[in-house]
This record gives sequence, C-alpha cells and structure tokens, in this order.
Amino acid sequence: MIDPRVARLAELIVAYSLDLGEGKVVRIDALDAASPLALALYKEALRVGAFPYPHVLVEGILELLLEHGSDEQLEFVSPLQWHEIETIDALVTVWSEANTRSLTRMDPERQARLLGAQRKLSNRRWERISRGELRWCGTLYPTSAHAQEAAMSVEDYEDFVFAACHVDEEEPAAHWRLVSASLGARAEELESVRQLRVLGPDTDLRLGVADRKWIAADGRYNMPDGEVFTSPVETETEGEIRYTFPAIYQGREVDDVRLRFEGGRVVAAEAARGGDYLRTLLDMDDGARVLGEVAFGLNYEINRFTRNILFDEKIGGTMHFALGSAFPQAGGANTSGLHWDMICDLREEGEIYADGELVWKAGHFLSEPAVRPVEALESA
Amino acid sequence: MPDARVQRLAEVLVGYSTAVRKGDLVIIDTSPPAASLVRALYRSVLEAGGHPYLRIDLDGDVEALLKQGSDAQLDWVNPTLFEQAKRADVEIAVEADSNTRRLSGVDPARQARRARAREPLRERYFERGATGELRRVVTLYPTSANAQDAEMSLGEYEDFVYGAGFLDRDDPGAAWRSFGEQIERTAAWLGEKKELRIVAEDTDLTVGVAGRTWVASDGKENFPDGEIFTGPVETSLEGLIRFTFPATFGGRRISDVQLRFEGGEVVESRASEGEDFLREMLAMDDGSRRAGEFAFGLNEGVTEFTGHTLFDEKIGGTCHLALGRSYPETGGVNLSALHWDLVCDLRTASEVYADGELVYRDGRFLDGAP
Repeated sequence: MIDPRVARLAELIVAYSLDLGEGKVVRIDALDAASPLALALYKEALRVGAFPYPHVLVEGILELLLEHGSDEQLEFVSPLQWHEIETIDALVTVWSEANTRSLTRMDPERQARLLGAQRKLSNRRWERISRGELRWCGTLYPTSAHAQEAAMSVEDYEDFVFAACHVDEEEPAAHWRLVSASLGARAEELESVRQLRVLGPDTDLRLGVADRKWIAADGRYNMPDGEVFTSPVETETEGEIRYTFPAIYQGREVDDVRLRFEGGRVVAAEAARGGDYLRTLLDMDDGARVLGEVAFGLNYEINRFTRNILFDEKIGGTMHFALGSAFPQAGGANTSGLHWDMICDLREEGEIYADGELVWKAGHFLSEPAVRPVEALESA
Repeated sequence: MPDARVQRLAEVLVGYSTAVRKGDLVIIDTSPPAASLVRALYRSVLEAGGHPYLRIDLDGDVEALLKQGSDAQLDWVNPTLFEQAKRADVEIAVEADSNTRRLSGVDPARQARRARAREPLRERYFERGATGELRRVVTLYPTSANAQDAEMSLGEYEDFVYGAGFLDRDDPGAAWRSFGEQIERTAAWLGEKKELRIVAEDTDLTVGVAGRTWVASDGKENFPDGEIFTGPVETSLEGLIRFTFPATFGGRRISDVQLRFEGGEVVESRASEGEDFLREMLAMDDGSRRAGEFAFGLNEGVTEFTGHTLFDEKIGGTCHLALGRSYPETGGVNLSALHWDLVCDLRTASEVYADGELVYRDGRFLDGAP
C-alpha cells in the first residue's frame, strides 16, 4: 500500500511543478531507494497523457566511477546523455541516498574532474530550462540516511518532508498556488529596494540589490520550495556575517563561519572547524569570494536544520547568501565554479532594513505583501 | 558478504561474452533487483576501458503502462532507445524479476500492441547484431521470484544458475571456449542435413532445414548457453508438437502448449493454461504463426526444468522451437514482433531423424554425430 502522501507528491509535481501535458516526454531520475515515488510519478505522468520513462541509478555507482575510472572515463560524457538532454521536455530528479556520506573519502581532485565534465551537460540543461524548452523539478524521497543526517527517525523525517511539501493536505496544489501569489507579490515589492542591511548576532551586512530581479521560488523547480532570491550587486557587499548553521559543501561541514566583506569581496574568513576547507573553496577562482545569491527562506513548515540544502535554505525565518555563481535571470553577473549556499538563522534576533526601513524582525516580514486581486482570485 | 560468483559472472560477461574493449559504449539494461550485479558489471566495464551506461527501469513500470496507458502511450517508443540501439557497441541485458507473473492480469492484446510498436527497435538490434557492430548478451540475475518458479530456495537456485554458467569452475571463459568448439562441430554436421523429423509423446513434426545455417551458441548472446539453432525453412513445418515444459513468457505462465503445423503455419493451437494469451501471440502479425527458430539444447550442466526459457531451452536433451522472428545469421527470413521459445523434452521415448536416418534418441545424438 503506497503512502497517500507519496501519491499526492507525484500528482503535485506532475500537475503543478512540471505542468505536464499530453505528448510531453519526461524522464524520471531516481536512485532505486526512491522507487515508490518514481513509480507514482510514472503512473501520474501516464495519467495526464505524457510519455514518461524512468532512469534509475543503483546505489554505489558514482563511487565505482571515482574509484576505478581512468581520467578519460571520469571525463566522458556519453552521446546518449547529450541526446537525452537535447530532446526531453521535462525532467524530475528524485534525490534519495542510502548513504549521504559515501563520497567523503573519495579523492577531491577526481571528484572535481567528474563534476567539471558533467557541468557541460548541466549547463546545457539550464540553458534549455531558462529558454522554457525544458521543465525541471528536483525533489526528495525520504530514506533512513537522510533521516540520520537530520538526526530524526525515518518516520518523523517522512512527516517533516511531506509537511514541507504540503502533501499531508488534501489539495497541495491549491496551497502552492497561494504560495506562488504571495511570494510573487513579495518579490515584486522587493524590486524597488536598493539596499538591504541585515543585523543579527555578530552580523551587520549591507548588500546592494538595486535593479536586480527578485525571483519567487514557488514549487516549480524544487519541491518543497518557498524562498525569494536575487543576485546582489557584485561590488557592494560590505560588513560582517556569522552563520549559525554549519555551512555544508559536497558533504563536508564548516562550522560557525564568519566572513568580512569589503567592496563586494570576502576579505577575511574564519571558522570554528573546517577553516582550511573554507579558505580552499574561497580560492577556487576569482568569483568564489563574491556573493552570487541573497535569499529569504519563507517555508515555515520547515522549522529545523536537517543538513540538506533542499530544505535548509527554505527554513522559514532564515536568509541565505551564496558565495560564487550568480543567476543571470536575476541580473547577476558573477561567475564561478562555486555556488555555496550558507544559511543564516534570523529567527531569534534578526532584523532587516530595506533602504533604512525595518522590514523584518524575528524571522518574519513585518507586513504581508499586497497580493494583486486577480492573482488571489486565480489562486483560490 | 557479496557472493563472489556475482563478480565472476560480471567478468565473464564483460571479458568473454561481449569482449569489451577500450572506448566501447556499453549499455547495462536491467531492473533494480539486479543492483549487486550492476555494480559488478559497472566495475568490470570500467576496468576493461569501456564507458558503462545504465538503463535501469522501475520494478512495475511496464505493468503500469500496460494497465493504464493510452494507445498512443503503448505505441510510443522512447527515441533515446533508438539512439542507444544506434550507438552502443555492447549491450548487457540482465533479467531480474521480482515477480514473474506480474502481468497475468493484463490484456494480452495490449501486450501484443506494445510488442508490435517496438518491432522497429528490435529490428535495429537484430541488424546491428547480425553485422557484429553490436555485441549483445542476455543473462539472468537470480531472484526469489525465479527461485519460486523453479521450486527452489534462493540459495539452491543461485547454485543452479551459477553452475549452469560454469562459474564454479577455475576458468569459466576457457570452459566456454572449449564447449563452444565442441558444439560447433555438431552444428557444422547438421548444416548438411535437409530435413529433420522429431518424434516424441504427442509429437511428430517435420522441419525443413535445407540451406540453412546452424549456429552454435557458446555464451556470447545468451548466458548461460549451450544450444545449436537454425531458422527452419518458413513453409516446411508439418505435423504436431507438444511442449511438455510450461513456459513463462510476457509475465505469465502458459502450460502444455500443443501446436499443429501445415505448410509451415500453425493451424491449430491448444494450452491447458494461458490459451487466450497463446492465441493473442499467434495473431500478433503475419510472421507469428511460423517458426523462426529450431534448436537443440546441449548444456549437460542444466538438467532440471526451472520454468525459465533461458535455462530450459539449454537443458541437454531438449529441443525448442520459437514462434516468430528468425535470426538472419541462420538464413531464416521470417519477420515478426514475436520471438517465443517453447521447449520440448526429448530425454525419454523420443527420436530424431535427419534425412530419414535415426540420429538422436532419448536426449542424445547417436554415434556418428560429432
């Protein structure tokens, strides 16, 4: 008997996130641990008249490639992968690890080589996504490994994941349409802001956001979702920030990161643990010391840190600031091999000023954005 | 503790059956229950210098498609599969069922429709296989479902499967090479014959094989293997045959199939279980009422009937006949979306005549045959 929440999640992704219609070719990427969700997605895609096909990976394959592959094999991008990325209409990625730390001891240089080759493919994927030729949604199917990472039982973790997606409710799509209207209005309101100032414990950071586009992440590209983000002006970030949550990059944790910015660049970096790794990543390339993203986490169903960026960056009442590559669609220009989301908890003491005006306190915007009536109507 | 025989199986499939070379694009086509063999194959292909590409479906996707898919969805063949058929140097197909009867409740007409739609893809595989551009092997990863069909425990069934593949021997590749040479001689000798007559219980069938090539199957296209097969002359089959072994095909079981041929075509058919399915398969297309293959099973390591064709058709002392598509390398020209092997036990009270001369009795070729 399938968990009804899994069936609803599949329905939500097919109908709402991907807006899949008749005749669309959709590939479902999943690890074998995610089979129940992958099969539910397959059936739901059939139901709406699409042409679905599964692309299943068994646990441990990446590790084999990293351990036994030659340089040529690591860098090989199959013509079959190219063909697929050029021809599919939609793609669902279901993250579902049986062991979230299985790559911890693998040679980082070889991982970088593999990643570099695969990046050509993902760049092309993003190009098609941004042109509207390809729909993509990333989601997660709960496993013991993810639960363990979050220090939860798998049952509690399932409750957490499904609540964050609102699939424990009867009509999740209706909820997400409301979220979309509300986040869209918030993004529009932020559009007129020229400078943000973030105050918190050991934190006083000023960011320029003039003429940048704020984007509402409303469950289309990620499920769950719930943030508004932009790319800040590359040269204007000034001041200090302390990240209370551990910063995680490729499974490695850096605790209690403190950064000082001058003229947009990180000029001092410290951490209680993992400082060397932090500085290595900052030196990755020229763009790694510059912020590529600033965002508000606004999903209040996500109320705890679970060591998974899909959820953590959306924790209601947090902000995240990513070092590295920016979003061109937001007007960002920074380029880097790095995109490292670091999350700052502003739920207890945080204050945010927009052009000098207090707009956020203790984890919430002080006013609801004005949702335009027509949007509210559509979303009802 | 992983079964060491899984790694040996992978090494034989990669090293012997498909002889993967540096730069080969190798498709591993299977289902999630075979995960441990997938990892072993992936590693072996990397070590041989190839580029492994996984094509793994979901346990249950075909069932969902057949039950709820529209006609358009049944007819759709993923263009990526054509791309794979065009570009792959090697394909290793691993059957791994969690339930061999899962399609029992599906409308056979819909199965036939899907098979017809996929015929061009199959055709592409046959073409590239015949020219040697694509090396393709089919094998099975032992699951509880297959063990259950064989009425064995999983452990017993694993012993059976790996034993049939000579994986308990010191050098399985060498064992296959020498066995292959031996059955090659039998194949060459049969190549000179014009007509076979099979006589057994409820069976008296004449099969024309003049001008056709007998192929010795030595573990390169099926694994395990051990048969010699040909494509019979399409219009030649006359008489009756009764397939004593039940067949699991298309996700269901069909038992005690009896066929009568006239002028090469099935004119009467019966089965004690799955008769509707049998009729639907026979009606699939123009070629599905004709035999595309006739073969003798010669693997003396496979002695027991286990309900799976890959093994049953290799049992030393059996013959099998496939309805539908013939293999071009035999000279056979029958075309069909169907290729369904049905196995007949010849180990007791059976005789085979070649051009009127008795050459085979009770499961063995007589002296005079190589």
